[in-house]
Amino acid sequence: MNQYINAVNSGVFYAIVALVLTFITIMCIVFLVKSYKAGLQIGMDEKLLKKTILSSATFTLLPSISILLGVIALSGTLGVPFSWLRLSVIGALQYELNVAEIAAQSIGLSGLNVSQLDMNAFVTIALVMTMGILGGVFCCIFFLKGYMNKLQSKPKKEASGKPGFGAHATTAMFVGLCAAYIGAYIGKVFPGGGSDWMPLFVAGISAIAMSIFEYFVQKKKMASLENFSLAASMLIAMSAAVIVNMLV
Amino acid sequence: MNDKEKFLKEFNDGLHRIGRITLILGAVLLIAVPFIIAMLNDASIDFKGFLAGFAKVGIIYIPVAIVEFLVYSPMLGVGGSYLSFITGNVTNMKIPCVMNAKDIAQTETGTPEHEIISTISVATSAIITTLVIVAGVILLVPLQPVLQNEALLPAFNNVVPALFGALGIKHFLKSPKIAAIPLLLMSALCIFVPSMINQTSILMIPSGALALGIGFYLFKKNKL
Repeated sequence: MNQYINAVNSGVFYAIVALVLTFITIMCIVFLVKSYKAGLQIGMDEKLLKKTILSSATFTLLPSISILLGVIALSGTLGVPFSWLRLSVIGALQYELNVAEIAAQSIGLSGLNVSQLDMNAFVTIALVMTMGILGGVFCCIFFLKGYMNKLQSKPKKEASGKPGFGAHATTAMFVGLCAAYIGAYIGKVFPGGGSDWMPLFVAGISAIAMSIFEYFVQKKKMASLENFSLAASMLIAMSAAVIVNMLV
Repeated sequence: MNDKEKFLKEFNDGLHRIGRITLILGAVLLIAVPFIIAMLNDASIDFKGFLAGFAKVGIIYIPVAIVEFLVYSPMLGVGGSYLSFITGNVTNMKIPCVMNAKDIAQTETGTPEHEIISTISVATSAIITTLVIVAGVILLVPLQPVLQNEALLPAFNNVVPALFGALGIKHFLKSPKIAAIPLLLMSALCIFVPSMINQTSILMIPSGALALGIGFYLFKKNKL
């Protein structure tokens, strides 16, 4: 077992993962610079572009820490470098754990049990995890251009003077997404869902905090708060979870 | 074609070119990792086990990937889609990040401004995530006791509810007519069919479709 743990945490493995992530990060920087320059070129306010960068960065900080916790959770069985790679590129903890378990069972193990793993099992599991998550990437490579061109050509058919449904469609889909999550938290409160009220409590606190921020942004015209309202609401709700957990 | 449309087409064509090349290279690099590790450790991939595992995984995740691609790429825009689908965490991070940036910048979907804002937003988000995780991996050993401190566990276990509570209220208040029925139905479904609670990635598909249908109906009736 120690031999396996050492092999999946080897220095060479760290170097390989660092190389892949450097490539992906350079890709992001290229897209960022290209878009920023294009924004200036069409006369967008530079302050707005910087504000977008700042708000996206602050918005991302907290969820990123949760991903880091996922790396820690996975690292016990698959080693730090591979967990780091999987959760930095495409993956999400829920997917990775589920697929690793399926892959481990497919090669005859009882599950993702570190005492049963060896390097043969590891590389097979790693390949299943990698190939299984590439669907979205292949869709983008082969179909994104055609799909987006088709979507962008549609508004022309709309009657002039009235904006198309496109703008409402994204809001509607996002409302649906939020409804699915909130519905699940409500379901968890009931005995059949495990009587777990904490997710709904946290979502509620976060919603209250967000409403207060929105009040100040909309009614008191404190627009600068908007950059931090989401991250701050989340932080308040997460802190409430810690406090309530200590009290009950 | 006016100047803005021409600009958008040229800008998007450039993003498609870079996006396709980098995604192909990225996919090759990712697939190469298990093979390189196998080579370095004298290990061999069990292809029979791989195919069996991949078949089970593919049945669930390939349709999900296709639906996610169809649903999310219009929200993310061209550049945002290429970046999001290679860096991951699309639903829990990239989409909310883009919606947040869109709200701040007040851009309309399908415009050059929206394309630019969403690409900047996703790129920044991906870079920050990478930096946080790199910092975390470097500090993993000394940080582990703090991060794994049981007292903090409820906070990190509930980061997603915290996210969707804040975003949910923002969007529900913005479109209460669209939100009411999906929210009631999804809640009822999760109460009466508890097994759906842990299937949020599947649940969001009918929920999104329902919200879209209601939105379209209200739009046609001029009630939005």
